[in-house]
Amino acid sequence: MMAALEPIVGRYVSFEVGGRSCRVYFEEAGEGIPLVCLHTAGADGRQYRHMMCDEEITSRYRVIAFDMPWHGKSYPPEGWEDEEYRLSTETYVETILAFCDALALERPALIGCSIGGRIVLQLAHLHGARFRALIGVEAADFQEPWYDTAWLHRGDVHGGEVCAALVSGLVAPQSPAVHRHETLWQYMQGGPGVFRGDLYFYRVDGDLRGRLDGIRCDECPLYLLTGEYDFSCAPEDTQRTAAGIPGARLTIMRELGHFPMSENPRQFRRYLLPVLDDIARR
Amino acid sequence: MEAPSIPIGESRGAQLARRFCQLAPSFSRPRAVHADMLLRFGGDAVLVRIREGRVASAQAPATPLPSCDFSIRASEEAWSRFWQAVPAAGWHDLFALAKRRELVIEGNLQPLMAHLQFIKDLLAVGREARA
Repeated sequence: MMAALEPIVGRYVSFEVGGRSCRVYFEEAGEGIPLVCLHTAGADGRQYRHMMCDEEITSRYRVIAFDMPWHGKSYPPEGWEDEEYRLSTETYVETILAFCDALALERPALIGCSIGGRIVLQLAHLHGARFRALIGVEAADFQEPWYDTAWLHRGDVHGGEVCAALVSGLVAPQSPAVHRHETLWQYMQGGPGVFRGDLYFYRVDGDLRGRLDGIRCDECPLYLLTGEYDFSCAPEDTQRTAAGIPGARLTIMRELGHFPMSENPRQFRRYLLPVLDDIARR
Repeated sequence: MEAPSIPIGESRGAQLARRFCQLAPSFSRPRAVHADMLLRFGGDAVLVRIREGRVASAQAPATPLPSCDFSIRASEEAWSRFWQAVPAAGWHDLFALAKRRELVIEGNLQPLMAHLQFIKDLLAVGREARA
């Protein structure tokens, strides 16, 4: 009997970000157009495991998901113990570009969700020529905060549990229980203060309202996919963002929340496959 | 789940409060949760005493000005929509309701945040069964 081996392979790669060496874990599967995948705040690349096991995708795309430094199996850079983690727009962009360079990816397509969706907008704004296409999932130039992030890292509240409980409401009620709880487990596993540090980018440093001029969707297509049950990056946030970017292609996805690829992969692929078909045709 | 009988003339808030009081005592989790939570369904209040992860009591406050750790209040309309078998987008979570200013959380939030999933699951006991 054959073991139930998945096609996913994991490796480490080291590169510099901000002059510091980072040892970064990534997983990949498939062959063809490189498709770099960015996880949500406080989570890791496991969110993309279903796409990496989907032959309709891996037959045409080399799907690559890396854990940001401080996340998943990527350690923080040396000396982390003396600092507070705070993700900035600049560091986020540098990390993504350094990863693509380290793997010598030539004009990859890229998909990012939540903070990954926000940074997709910044990549489209500053580095569109380096990408074949960009897909922002749950992406907007700004979102209204809905809780105090101080709760995410305190001595008297379990950080992992409160992170998971807060984001649990962002999963659509239709999403299968197994995928809902797998998604939440990642939040329970995050390092102390890491989710809050990611949200520094989301809430403080990465307000992109009025800063997204000059995006050339004719040169690098930009697709925006947002779940109807996402009240953090609500459909109207993405609609407002798309309205300011000529040529951006917007889809509001039914019965999905803030973690489409992870919370309900079967529903998400209905929206993702047409986008990937479109990119592959170009 | 059997639908509770509704006394004639009972307000919508009273119906919702009664539904919660009927269902909440069966809720428990293996977790050391201790808190007094005041709920308001429109104008109808329910004081919920949680001890050792169990609902020790859920009933209308016996006296005016009941003391509690934190309170959660929303309109009858908001609770009704929140408790639908498959709630509509934006009405499906406490914080979705709070963000749209349909629900208010007040008091000391530490016990709420320390046991957030417990409280979320407890408040969802009123949700109708899926067809």
